[in-house]
Amino acid sequence: MAEEFNTDGMLDMYLFENEQLLEQLQEIVLEQTDAGCFDEDSINEIFRTMHTIKGSSGIMMFDNITAVSHKLEDVFYYLRESHPENVPHLELVEHVLEVADFITNEMDKIKGGEPIDGDPSEIIAGLDKFLDVLKNGTAESGAEPPPENVHEEPKQFYIAPVATSASHFYKIYITFYPETEMANIHAYKTIYALKEVAEDLLYSPEDIISDEGSAETILKEGFRILLQSQSDEEEISKIIGVGYDIKQVDIFECKAEEFLQGFDFGSTGVQIDLDSSVEEIENKMQEVKEEAAKEEQPSVKPKAQMAPGDFVIKSKEPGKPKTLAKDKAKMEKASFISVNVSKMDQLMDLIGELVIAESVVLQNPDLKVPGLNLSSFNKAATQLSKISTDLQNVIMSMRMVPLANTFQKMNRIVFDVSRKLGKDIEFEMVGEQTEVDKNIIEHISDPLMHLVRNAVDHGIETNEERAESGKKEKGKVTLSARTEAGKVWISVEDNGKGLDREKIMNKARSQGLLDESKPESSYTDKEVYQFITLPGFSTNEQITEYSGRGVGMDVVVQNIQSIGGMLDIESTPGMGSIMNLKIPLTLAIIDGIVMETGNSSFVLETGMIKEFVSVNEEMMIHEPNGEEYVMIRGECYPVVRLGRRFEMKEYQESVENGMMLILEIEGKKVCLFVDRLIGEQEIVVKPIPSYIKKVKGLSGCTQLGDGSIALILDPGGLIE
Amino acid sequence: MGETNELKELQNDTQTASSEREAQKGKYMTFKSGNEYFGLKIQYVNEIIQYQPITAVPETEDYIKGLINLRGKVIPVIDVRLRFKQEPFEYNDRTCIIVISVKSTVVGLIVEKIAEVVEIKEENILPPPTIGRMDKIQQKYVYGIGKVGDKVKLLLDPDKLLNDEDLSIVEQSNETMIEEE
Repeated sequence: MAEEFNTDGMLDMYLFENEQLLEQLQEIVLEQTDAGCFDEDSINEIFRTMHTIKGSSGIMMFDNITAVSHKLEDVFYYLRESHPENVPHLELVEHVLEVADFITNEMDKIKGGEPIDGDPSEIIAGLDKFLDVLKNGTAESGAEPPPENVHEEPKQFYIAPVATSASHFYKIYITFYPETEMANIHAYKTIYALKEVAEDLLYSPEDIISDEGSAETILKEGFRILLQSQSDEEEISKIIGVGYDIKQVDIFECKAEEFLQGFDFGSTGVQIDLDSSVEEIENKMQEVKEEAAKEEQPSVKPKAQMAPGDFVIKSKEPGKPKTLAKDKAKMEKASFISVNVSKMDQLMDLIGELVIAESVVLQNPDLKVPGLNLSSFNKAATQLSKISTDLQNVIMSMRMVPLANTFQKMNRIVFDVSRKLGKDIEFEMVGEQTEVDKNIIEHISDPLMHLVRNAVDHGIETNEERAESGKKEKGKVTLSARTEAGKVWISVEDNGKGLDREKIMNKARSQGLLDESKPESSYTDKEVYQFITLPGFSTNEQITEYSGRGVGMDVVVQNIQSIGGMLDIESTPGMGSIMNLKIPLTLAIIDGIVMETGNSSFVLETGMIKEFVSVNEEMMIHEPNGEEYVMIRGECYPVVRLGRRFEMKEYQESVENGMMLILEIEGKKVCLFVDRLIGEQEIVVKPIPSYIKKVKGLSGCTQLGDGSIALILDPGGLIE
Repeated sequence: MGETNELKELQNDTQTASSEREAQKGKYMTFKSGNEYFGLKIQYVNEIIQYQPITAVPETEDYIKGLINLRGKVIPVIDVRLRFKQEPFEYNDRTCIIVISVKSTVVGLIVEKIAEVVEIKEENILPPPTIGRMDKIQQKYVYGIGKVGDKVKLLLDPDKLLNDEDLSIVEQSNETMIEEE
């Protein structure tokens, strides 16, 4: 039956949801690597995450993922229920990450349409062993081993939630037709549907996904659900829906207290009424104690005669955080929708066109007829401009994504690499909420990863080296992001040994990169550090698993340049180094200065331009080989004449009638000579049609307010 | 249900498309360039627009005049006369741009004068003569000669018109575009 499902849409959803879950999982795990143990919330969260993954993978029939997640769920079930002490925390973290990696790997295979053939047995064996150790460890310390991961009903004791909300409590019995195959999957479907409205949800049998035997139980005994929800009976029965599989649905509304008893439905359960007197509770407790001494018991006022071993008083009631977390999850569901990126791009394009169409209307030459009374037109025009600007801002913000996820991945890398290298390294993130265009995030993830890896591998010394050089503090890698002047600055900072100028110079000399006419001492530190961004340049004598092959830094720089960013290296010997990335906030709409040369309009990104200067002939220096320089305030800049550079037909020859633009390109200052400036405009970047071969110095084109086309200059290409 | 509907729509689409193709069969858009009349199969022609200001792109072949803005889409335009290595001509407000689309490349052709749409039957199309008045370059774009009454139209292969000798360049630029993306 399940095979007949069209799983395409489900598969997308499955991958998307699980990816997010895994990301959250890693975040939780890595947040607490230094804590020494997981707090209760995290244990619950990890448990729940694994449970969800297990469930959905079960439906999608990815057995190996189901198996692995089930095992990890077991481990966390044990942690949650029995609170063992002396958990080898780092080992646990590794196990969790191992599982997360395995699942990510398998999901990648699913995405690529490959068969999912990963073998989970090793991981499972590892987890089994780990669980054994845990259990034995706690057995020695005197605590009782908890039962296996079968949700026994009496485990669920809740403090009655204060009934302030309009929640109803229901007991639901579902009877399936006896011939229904895989009734457990059908039951899961129901549960899945109910989750939409549920504030709290319990069901029995619990383990419907991985335990195929549960199908039989469901058929025989019916499927029982306890539901707390705002919806009324009718809505719920609609959600469940009597169909070809479900024979009968009985919904009983019940009181909160009954709900809390779990599935015993009043037969053997003990009611704990918050309003009843202490004596009553005590009596009841006594009963419970006799019945099952090992059961946990939330106590309102535990008396001294109760032996502490009998009742575990938890700092938090198990019921409450669960409900809270569920509320949170629900809120997220309600406030986020996932949209296909291509639709976003389309919207973006359309808005770009709207912005241009608007300026075509508002600057229409027809309006320039003298004697027109345009006062109400202008009013309406202002309103229109305001709306379109808002619209543009909204769409831009829709594409903005915080860097947090990317940074989180780096956290993982620091953790992995530092452990493998035996270095004790702290990782700090600053400003991870900084938002960047999604397209850009995709481009910086790999370069960042490389820089972080370098920092951990090369930057930070080994523990012994640190001790020798007398460094007291722990090795530390700081990843920070901030917005400044329309750019995002991301820096990777380490407090390691810093770059070794001598080593780099030696290497550069041996590779023949040094300019022989230039004395070596005249190279600035910045220039020297730039050498490491050249292909095939690595000063690390030892090639490690992570870095040192000499491929990398050049690729990093290339990737960053391809999105219009740049890399700046600072370093202090013995104190560490800082890699600063400067990247644009967005690629799609940029602030530009429109200028003209000859008959063509050009646009240059505003941020590139340092200054506009009018110069006269006396300031020019002409070299015999045709090169030109200009002296401005005692500084000499090389001059590129745009008209000459592009071999255009008619352009301004006399520098006095044109305009000099001082540009800063990769740290170098260059003067660009153009005929005249037109103005500033927000421009929507479009590619030059591929029919026209690529021209160096042009990076795209855009439409101007009058509908004509201007070419976007790429200053880097201009000076090559 | 949804799928069958979609299927039907698809069928309808293909039907209308095929009937359109039927109607377009044998029809040629003709225009004058130099002393000759040329014909282009009409299914390549998207539309005909008035001449509009062109933004020149530096460092390109001289027949590539530059870019125009076609309702928000940026398309390149080429001058057919220059493409045929004929003398350049002055553009005026009667000059037209034929927008053609070949293998999803949209290009505007600047032509001297648009003539008419004619129907040329298969049997009236002759292969180009090997020795003729046309020089060699011109011949490469001409795949046939259509007879209309007592006049002839040179039938153009738009693919060759756009690419042909500079095919390698176009391919290269395509590659670099892909790399950039």
